[in-house]
Amino acid sequence: MTQPLPKHALAVEVADLTVAYRDRPVLWDVDVEVPAGVLMAVVGPNGAGKTTLLKAILGLVRPAAGSVRIFGQPIKAVRHLVGYVPQHREVDWDFPTNVLDVVMMGRYGHLGWFRRPGPQERAMALAALEQVGMRELADRQISQLSGGQQQRVFLARALVQDAQIYLMDEPFAGVDALTERAILNIMRSLRARGKTVVVVHHDLQTVREYFDWVLLLNVRRVACGPVAEVFTEGNLRQTYGGRAVALEARRP
Amino acid sequence: MGPLDLMVLLLSDHTVRTVAAGAVLMGITSGVLGVYALLRRQSLLGDAMSHAALPGLALAFLVTRSKESAFLLLGAAFAAWVGALGVIAIPNYTRLKPDAALGIVLSVFFGFGLVVLTVIQRLPTAAQAGLDKFLFGQAATILQRDVLTMAVIAALALLVVILGWKEFKLLSFDPAFAAVQGFPVRLLDVALTSLVILAILAGLQTVGVVLMSAMLIAPAAAARQWTDRLSTMVLLAAVFGAAAGLGGVLLSSLGDSLPTGPTIVVCASLLVYGSLLFAPHRGLVWRRLVAGRRQRAVRALQVLAQLYWLGSQHGDPFYPHPAGALRALAGSGVQASLRELAARNWVRRLPDGRVALTPEGLAAVSDFLQQAAPDTPVPPSSESKPEAGP
Repeated sequence: MTQPLPKHALAVEVADLTVAYRDRPVLWDVDVEVPAGVLMAVVGPNGAGKTTLLKAILGLVRPAAGSVRIFGQPIKAVRHLVGYVPQHREVDWDFPTNVLDVVMMGRYGHLGWFRRPGPQERAMALAALEQVGMRELADRQISQLSGGQQQRVFLARALVQDAQIYLMDEPFAGVDALTERAILNIMRSLRARGKTVVVVHHDLQTVREYFDWVLLLNVRRVACGPVAEVFTEGNLRQTYGGRAVALEARRP
Repeated sequence: MGPLDLMVLLLSDHTVRTVAAGAVLMGITSGVLGVYALLRRQSLLGDAMSHAALPGLALAFLVTRSKESAFLLLGAAFAAWVGALGVIAIPNYTRLKPDAALGIVLSVFFGFGLVVLTVIQRLPTAAQAGLDKFLFGQAATILQRDVLTMAVIAALALLVVILGWKEFKLLSFDPAFAAVQGFPVRLLDVALTSLVILAILAGLQTVGVVLMSAMLIAPAAAARQWTDRLSTMVLLAAVFGAAAGLGGVLLSSLGDSLPTGPTIVVCASLLVYGSLLFAPHRGLVWRRLVAGRRQRAVRALQVLAQLYWLGSQHGDPFYPHPAGALRALAGSGVQASLRELAARNWVRRLPDGRVALTPEGLAAVSDFLQQAAPDTPVPPSSESKPEAGP
C-alpha cells in the first residue's frame, strides 16, 4: 500500500466510553489503550460488553458518551486501516455465493463505489485463502463449509483488507485444535509485521500462551496492560465475580 | 394447434399484447427486487408495504378527486414508505418484535384503507371511482401509457441493481461488514426499499395490493432452488417473474371468467412448487433420492462387513454363508442389499443359495472398515489376493 503509516504510539484509544441498549449499560465509562503492534485478548464473562466494545471501536454502535481514536484519528477518517472478523454466526451462510467471492468482499472498501473486483482482487483473495489453508476450497459454495472453515474464510476476508489494526470477535469459537493453531499463527505473523490485533477470547487457559496484552472487561474496565502484569488471580476474580473460573488462570 | 401458435394468436390481440407487456415488465421488476428482499429476510416487509399502499391511494383520490394515476401512485408510494418506517421503528422503540410490527402495520393500514374505500364508494362520484380494482388488480385496465410507466420503473430498478451490484450484494450478505468498510448502509437500505416500493406500484394495477407480495417472494424463492450464484438467481427470478406474468395473462385471456392478477399469482406459485420439488440439489425429490441411495449404500456395506466378519470366524474371508445367517445379523432388507452387492461384483451367489465375498468385495470392506474404525484388524493387502495360487 502507498498510504503513509500513521505515526502514533497508540493504535486504539478508547476514552470514557459508555454504551447503553435502552436503559441497560453494556459498557460503562471504559478506557482502553492498545499500543501499536500488540496481540491483545479481550476477556470477560458473557454480557461483559466485549462484542459491543469492538463494534463501538468500529463505529457500528453509537456510544452514549466517550470517544474512540484510531492512531489518534476518528474511525471515519481511517476506516481502511481497520480490519474486522465478526463472529461467523452473524451472517446467513446459505447466501448464494462462493468462498472466493466472500473473501473478495474484503476489497470492496478499497475499490469504492461501483468499481467491480478484478484480477488483482482475485489474486489477493487467493493468496489470503492460501494463508488460511483454504486455497483448494475457493470455488466451494459457502453453505457447505464447516464452522471452522467459515471462521477461516472470514479471517481471509479480513486479511485482504490489508489493515493496520485487526479486530476479531471470537475467532477461535467452534474450531478444532488444528484450526486454532493455524489461526494463532496468522495472528502472530500479523504482529510480526507490526500490525495490531485485538481478539475477543474465551479460553482463559491459553491467554498467557497466545497473547502479550490483555483487557479484562465486565461492563467496566477491570484491568488493561501486559499479560504478565495484569492477568492476575485478583483481577480475574474481580472480572468474573470470584467464581471458580478464576482458578484456571493460576500460574502452573 | 400447438401452445406456441396459440400464444402467437392470443398476442395478436392488441389489448392482450398491452396487458402482457405490462405483466412481463412487472414480473421482471418484482422478480429482481424480490431476490434482495428474500436474501435479507424481508419478504414480509414487501407484504406490509403493499397493503400499506392502499390507504395512500384512497386518500390521494379523496383529496384530489382525480383518477389521474400519477396522484394515486404518489399517495400509494408515500403510504408504503410510512408503513415501512413503522415496521422498522416499532421494534426499535417498543418491546414488540419485528413479526408483530409487520402484523400491526399490515392490518392497521389495510383496514384503514378499506374504510376510506367504503367512504369513497358512498360519494356521489362512486360509480366512476372503481378504486377497488387495486385490491386484486384489474389488468384489463392497463393502457399503453401504464406500460410505459412500468418500463421506466423496470429500467430504473435494473440500472440501480447493476450499478450497485457489489454494494447490494455486500449489504445483503453482511451489512455490518459493509458499514465497517465505509459504505452508507442506511442509504443503501433506503435505496433498496424505495425500489421495492416502485415494484409494488408497478404491480398495483395488475395484481393489486393483496397479492403483490407473492410477486416479490415467489420468483425469487423459485430461483433460489436452482442456483448457488447471486447473478444467476437474479436472472432466473426475472425470467420466472416474466413467465408468470405472461402465463397469467394468456391463461386468463382464454376464458373470460379468469381474473388476470390472481392467475398470474397462481402461475408464480406453480413455479415455486415445481422448483421446491424438482430442482437439482435443493429440490425435495432430489434430496429424497440422494438420501435413499446413501441409506442403501450404508446398508449394503453393513451386510458386506457381516459377511467379512463371519468369514474371519472361519479363518477364510471368502467362506460362503447361507443368506439366512446374514439376515439374523443384519436384519431385514438383506436380499436387496445382496442384489446390489452382487451387481457390484462384491459378493458372489452360489447355486446352493449361499453367498461369499469376492476379492473386490474384500478390498471394499477393508477400505470401509479402515475409514469407519481404524482399530479393526484388517488383513494386510498382500494377503488379500486369494485363489492366486494353484
